[in-house]
Amino acid sequence: MENSNKLSQFSQRFAPTEIEALLPMGDGARAFIAENDFPTTKVERFKYTRLTKLANAVFEAQKQEVNLEKRHEQICPDSIAIYVVDGKVILPEMSLPNGLSIDFISSAQNVPQSSIKDVFAALNTLHAHSGVNIKVANNCIIEPVIELVHVVNSSYAGFTRNHLSVGENAQAKFVLTYVSKHSNTGFSHVHTSIEVAKHAHVQVEKVQMESAENFSFSDEEVWQDADSVFQINTLTLDGHLVRNDLHIQVLGEHAETHLNGLYMLNGQQHVANYTTVDHQVANCQSNELYKGIMDDKSVSVFNGKVFVRQDAQKTNAFQSNANVLISEDASVNSKPELEIYADDVKCSHGSTTGQLDDEALFYLRARGISEKGATQLLLTAFMSDVLEKISVPAVKEKVFEVINERFNWDLSL
Amino acid sequence: MIKIENLHASINGKEILKGLNLVVNAGEVHAIMGPNGAGKSTLASVLAGREDYEVTAGSVDFDGTDLLELSTEDRAREGLFLAFQYPVEIPGVSNVNFLRTALNEIREYRGQESISAKDFMSMVREKSAIVELDSKLASRAVNEGFSGGEKKRNEIFQMAMLEPKLAVLDETDSGLDIDALRIVANGVNTLKSDKNATIVITHYQRLLDYIVPDFVHVLYNGRIVMTGTKDLALELEEKGYDWIKDSIEA
Repeated sequence: MENSNKLSQFSQRFAPTEIEALLPMGDGARAFIAENDFPTTKVERFKYTRLTKLANAVFEAQKQEVNLEKRHEQICPDSIAIYVVDGKVILPEMSLPNGLSIDFISSAQNVPQSSIKDVFAALNTLHAHSGVNIKVANNCIIEPVIELVHVVNSSYAGFTRNHLSVGENAQAKFVLTYVSKHSNTGFSHVHTSIEVAKHAHVQVEKVQMESAENFSFSDEEVWQDADSVFQINTLTLDGHLVRNDLHIQVLGEHAETHLNGLYMLNGQQHVANYTTVDHQVANCQSNELYKGIMDDKSVSVFNGKVFVRQDAQKTNAFQSNANVLISEDASVNSKPELEIYADDVKCSHGSTTGQLDDEALFYLRARGISEKGATQLLLTAFMSDVLEKISVPAVKEKVFEVINERFNWDLSL
Repeated sequence: MIKIENLHASINGKEILKGLNLVVNAGEVHAIMGPNGAGKSTLASVLAGREDYEVTAGSVDFDGTDLLELSTEDRAREGLFLAFQYPVEIPGVSNVNFLRTALNEIREYRGQESISAKDFMSMVREKSAIVELDSKLASRAVNEGFSGGEKKRNEIFQMAMLEPKLAVLDETDSGLDIDALRIVANGVNTLKSDKNATIVITHYQRLLDYIVPDFVHVLYNGRIVMTGTKDLALELEEKGYDWIKDSIEA
């Protein structure tokens, strides 16, 4: 079918996927693309994110030679690192611990059907050309951190599909690193599905250090079974246009979900965090805490949704977004949402945005602390509850390093 | 120590201090008393460098430096300490971290080496004992969840840690019960030496039973209108501030 809309044209610029597990979902995705165009800012989920620039962007030839030797972008020196460089997957050469298997996404028998209904999810389903399939077997505890390093260093444009599955009673820590260092316009969309089986413990640190030229879109879609614990920290340290969609479906009772975020923006950076926690069963708890420090003309979007379905009695769900503006021109769009259909639950949500407290600044300065030192103390205090949640020391050090570079602070908590 | 001459200051265009003169020498304790609205807290705020206030005339010489030219933090580093009437709660910043940062910035300003963690902690233990402040409070967030008395004791604890040349206590007695008042006063007296000086700003004579001043000044309508010894405070207590108003306007 010929279609002249921008979305169809955009779609036609990418080759069809050859990932077998995605083929059964192709019809639905094709229909979605045919029936829709790039969302305008009238569409609620894209209200603050203008896609015109992306729709019109020119990406140069995708097939540049990738330098596979330069693998120094990983954050954790001792991690089991998988590189995805300009969409090309490089598997680790080391021998893997028992119970851990890492392979190309093409090896996946099936991947769960995505419930995200938007253009990027559909495009990814049709055009993902690479990705990683990681499996942790039942009852296995993987000690080393598994780090998935996404690097964009040419004017790459493309879709990546990862699948992580952690078996019953197993434990694993993942670091999802996003780095780009190039001066031409680039675009990457990474969809990562994560299956957390019964009694499994999964920890994800997502660290984004994108260049000023890159459109960085990524989704994580999570399915949590009974008695599992899942935590994800989304740490956005740099990026031109970064959009994170996090969907968590809590499908088993007594599961625990923690989602935290920290974004520190300056210049004209635009970072959007969309989160959904869908409580479908009883006796679960979720905690969500996103914090932002906004400088210059940066813009942030937070849209957190928590659904508590009718059967999800005794749910405890808490959601909070707090922002500090350190310039007059930065802006924050924050929309926490709760939809509750059960009647015996404890839920709360809230959002705050403001400047640093002048009285506190004066108090600190009156004790001999410089304005800069006082600002540092107050902002560190503001961030501390999110920083404390970071479970991988190397990630914490990286965050401090970036903070030190940007603000010339000396942090060592 | 400090020489204030013809100080005029206003806030939002309204003049509060109208030509205030005061000289305090090392080793002295001065009390400044006065009715509400006389300008007592304004004096404390102007000395500490609160930016809401505009100094329109006058000078303040602090041990040879032009105090009014200094930023708030440099005033503190030169040895000025303001005990706040309403200490600020700062969630997330621990008392200890805050004080070590302050101490080290002051030492750096003076060209001294920063204090070691061990020396700092033993100093915390020693100084918190002066105001009977539970050392657990030292590790909590600054003033967060402190009672009124604990906040004021924390101010004096900070004063003990920072060892200022001149301490200005702004209504430190307000909201204190008699036991807390005694502890706070005892702390101030312990820290007193012939090298430092204290200005005690208060509405009530009560505090001066415990911190005995060398001089008592009465601040009224933006100026010091009367100066005497501690007996003046007792007289004020007995006759009330109307007596001052009447005698000035007479």
